[in-house]
Amino acid sequence: MPRSFLSYIAQRAVQCVLVILIGITITFFIPRLSPTDPVETAVNQAVMVGQFSHPDAVREMKEALIRLYGLDGTLLQQYVRFWKGLLAGDLGPSLSSFPKPVMTLIRGSLPWTAGLLLTTAVISWTLGNLLGSLAGYYKNQRWASIVGIIAMALHPIPYYIMAFVLVVLLAYVVPIFPIGGAIDIGLKPAFSLVYLSSLLRHAILPSLSLLLVGVGGWFLGMRTLVTNVIAEDYVTYAKYAGVRDRVIMYQYVMRNALLPQITGLAMQLGLIFNGALITEYVFSYPGLGYLAYNAIFAGDYSLIMGVAVFSIVGVSIAVLLIDLAYPLFDPRVKYQ
Amino acid sequence: MSWKRRLILFVVVMLFASMLGSYAWAAEPGATLDVAPGVPRHETLILENPEGRIADPGRFNRWAQGGGNSTGLQQLALDTLWYIDPDAGIDDPWNNSLAEAPPIYNEDYTQMTVKLRKGIYWSDGVEFTADDVIFTVETLMANPAMSFGAQFQLNVDRVYKTDDYTVVFDLKQPNSRFHAIFTVRWSACFIMPKHIWEKVDDPVAFDFNDPLVSLGPYVLKDYDPNGYWYLWERREDWHRTSLGMQYGMPQPKYALYIAPGPADKRVMAQANHDLDVIHDLTPEGMISLVNRNPLSKGWFDGFPWAHPDPTLPAVMLNNEKYPLNLPEVRWALTLAIDIVNVSMASYNGAATLSAIHVPPTGGYLEWYFDPMESWLQSFSIDVDGEPFYPYDDTVACRVAETVRKQLGDQVPTDPEQLKKALGYGWWKYAPEVAEKLLLKNGFTRDRRGNWLLPNGEQWKISILCHGPTVPTMTRAATMIAEQWTKFGIETKAEPTDLLWTRLDYGDYDVCLAWCIETWGGHPDLFWFLESWHSDYYRPSGEQVVNKNPMRFKNEELDRIIEEIKGRDFDDPACVDLGIEYLKICVKEMPIIPLMAYNVFAVCDWYYWEGFPTADNPYTNPVANWANTKFMFPMIRPTGRK
Repeated sequence: MPRSFLSYIAQRAVQCVLVILIGITITFFIPRLSPTDPVETAVNQAVMVGQFSHPDAVREMKEALIRLYGLDGTLLQQYVRFWKGLLAGDLGPSLSSFPKPVMTLIRGSLPWTAGLLLTTAVISWTLGNLLGSLAGYYKNQRWASIVGIIAMALHPIPYYIMAFVLVVLLAYVVPIFPIGGAIDIGLKPAFSLVYLSSLLRHAILPSLSLLLVGVGGWFLGMRTLVTNVIAEDYVTYAKYAGVRDRVIMYQYVMRNALLPQITGLAMQLGLIFNGALITEYVFSYPGLGYLAYNAIFAGDYSLIMGVAVFSIVGVSIAVLLIDLAYPLFDPRVKYQ
Repeated sequence: MSWKRRLILFVVVMLFASMLGSYAWAAEPGATLDVAPGVPRHETLILENPEGRIADPGRFNRWAQGGGNSTGLQQLALDTLWYIDPDAGIDDPWNNSLAEAPPIYNEDYTQMTVKLRKGIYWSDGVEFTADDVIFTVETLMANPAMSFGAQFQLNVDRVYKTDDYTVVFDLKQPNSRFHAIFTVRWSACFIMPKHIWEKVDDPVAFDFNDPLVSLGPYVLKDYDPNGYWYLWERREDWHRTSLGMQYGMPQPKYALYIAPGPADKRVMAQANHDLDVIHDLTPEGMISLVNRNPLSKGWFDGFPWAHPDPTLPAVMLNNEKYPLNLPEVRWALTLAIDIVNVSMASYNGAATLSAIHVPPTGGYLEWYFDPMESWLQSFSIDVDGEPFYPYDDTVACRVAETVRKQLGDQVPTDPEQLKKALGYGWWKYAPEVAEKLLLKNGFTRDRRGNWLLPNGEQWKISILCHGPTVPTMTRAATMIAEQWTKFGIETKAEPTDLLWTRLDYGDYDVCLAWCIETWGGHPDLFWFLESWHSDYYRPSGEQVVNKNPMRFKNEELDRIIEEIKGRDFDDPACVDLGIEYLKICVKEMPIIPLMAYNVFAVCDWYYWEGFPTADNPYTNPVANWANTKFMFPMIRPTGRK
């Protein structure tokens, strides 16, 4: 293996680790600087249940919770404790769902988020880029204009509105799909047609909402890129040289135009770990978005950290992989 | 056509066929719907859980953090000694639930004795006895991080039984309201099954799942591991629960608590008869729903529909900060509010207004509003040596008139009916009087007409309010800000997610929130009023003790609170003392009362009928209150399937 290649990998890996370290450190401190305090939140909830709580009782409860949540000691001590736990694979207990381990909560939501967002991200990227390439390359064709108009019309619609339109149309006016949820009530996970079809039926509307908005974005981006690339000299030369149209389109134009889109895809895949809050809310679909949202409002430092760690590591690794794989897509990029 | 194209065409056709087929099947007349396998729709009551998705759905430890409360847990599976209904109750607002009778105190309130019902059983067949109550108290005392633990530590010297059905609490100091810990308003300290919890090493970590042993008439049948729904099934031995024993069989065989999502989806779900009880809606959602589904009914049969909760949203004024420490300035701000516009902006007119410092709900109309009416009519404030009578009892009619332009005949015309629904009255909109009060206190106007403080600085106010989670309050704050700006005070509404924390620490001047919460079904005000005593006063910067975030101190009020504390919970003299409290508040105006916290709880009378209403107010229909259990034996199936 050439030395330059090894050095390139090492350099990128160190960068990646540094980004992760800094990202996690910032995420550790920021929630602790916010005025939302998990102990206050817990005490407020407890006090709300009953009548007047004597100040001494409130103080006693607070002290007990601080000890229980492991929030005693200085910030530095907490920071060291956090890293020790993290390196042992333990994100600690959630403070708003104490003492449930953060990993357990994330494990419950992550498959839904990954299933929905990974699928829709890949499909919308593929479809958007394919259609965008064709529309850009055959820009004088009537169908290309029509697809362009549709994409232009769909893309600026706020996602929330799009999601609601789909719910109203396809779950209320013509109730083909369920109004919400991830699976029929009472259905137990099983590798059966009933379960799988229920899973699919519930996933169609949230997926469709993400696809319609996502495809439009990729389409418009790719069409612009292709329009620029076909004006390049080497494309004109290839045409004059009698290279087949399909080859020019896939090998010369699309491959070159695709490079920034690949970076975009990598970033999007990394961000999957943030979840899709609005999708989850509108379609009552489980996922990491709602978990993170509640954690922020409850000042649940551990859960915020848990979701953030996944997101930071996800984006960093995605960027690293793209950096490493880039020369495969574009031979002009060298491992230097 | 190539085989690839044929395959694609086949797949597309099949997909559409299956979609249409499933739609046709669902719409087939006469078909019995199931909400889950083996759970018929017509035997199920579906209620909204307003908590949304539960992050840790398998946790049922109501005494510690995590899990949900309004999943049916505190409504159908837990029970405690007493309940006070915010409305009229089935036979009385006071309900002896696990207790056989009200609490028995000794003369100096240092001991409380509780007689328990006999014949109550946990869902696993073990009898409920005094041991469960004692165990609950001792477990919580040993764990002050759990709800009520620290309070028990502070209050309880010893808890013991004299027989299996009699529990005695020896208290560390006199406390005539100790029973309130075990009395449900919307929640309370529920009782643990000793035979389950005594085997647990760490009560804080215990999920109380597997098994979730119920003391209520339902047991958990299933729940969503993703936290969106909880399905409960009626116990075979429902008659061995406090509810069944008193009021007969709960009618729905199943109860399903779901998190249906945003208000628009709740409207759609109920219009489709897929959601029987909506916890709350926006006023616009309510109007939209009643227009779509004639069987959707609110608390009032028509405008204003909403159920007034015994909570009083108010303009909270930090009485510690200049110039809000001056009663005349507080009154000036009150008179610069046009309440009709606030009602329209916040609730589309469907607000139940209150001029005095208790919510206009439940029995409070009779206990406090009626007796105060003549005093309010004759109450005056001194304005440049002349009396000004600020009370306006025409407000309800004026609100109704405004709403009638939009809703026509849906708005009642009977003044008595309007009074109950929209409030007895409020304070006059009198900016000219407000101006005189400010001028008297050294305020001046600049050339543009804006108010300057006596030191020449411009008077600016920021009204803290809830963010989009409580839109009615945000809208009210925005309207008040607009009115005060029009009056010449530069005011803006400031939505924040840290409202309660900032209130607690006094980090505000003006805020739209609430600190007055009452039983609704019982006149005792001590529940919120105790913490208004100057003993518990904390200056801004220190955390407030419970319900005095406006930092109000008054010697006369201290006396009233002490007198109430020394009297029995049911002593009629407490109502007279409560009226004295109200008069002090009207004179001093420590906060500006606005309205009841109206909740658009809507019930669909398609599968079930007999839900509580203003005409039959046997309980509160707001689904997150533990009292809603009383709805279950009272509703009846309509026979629709």
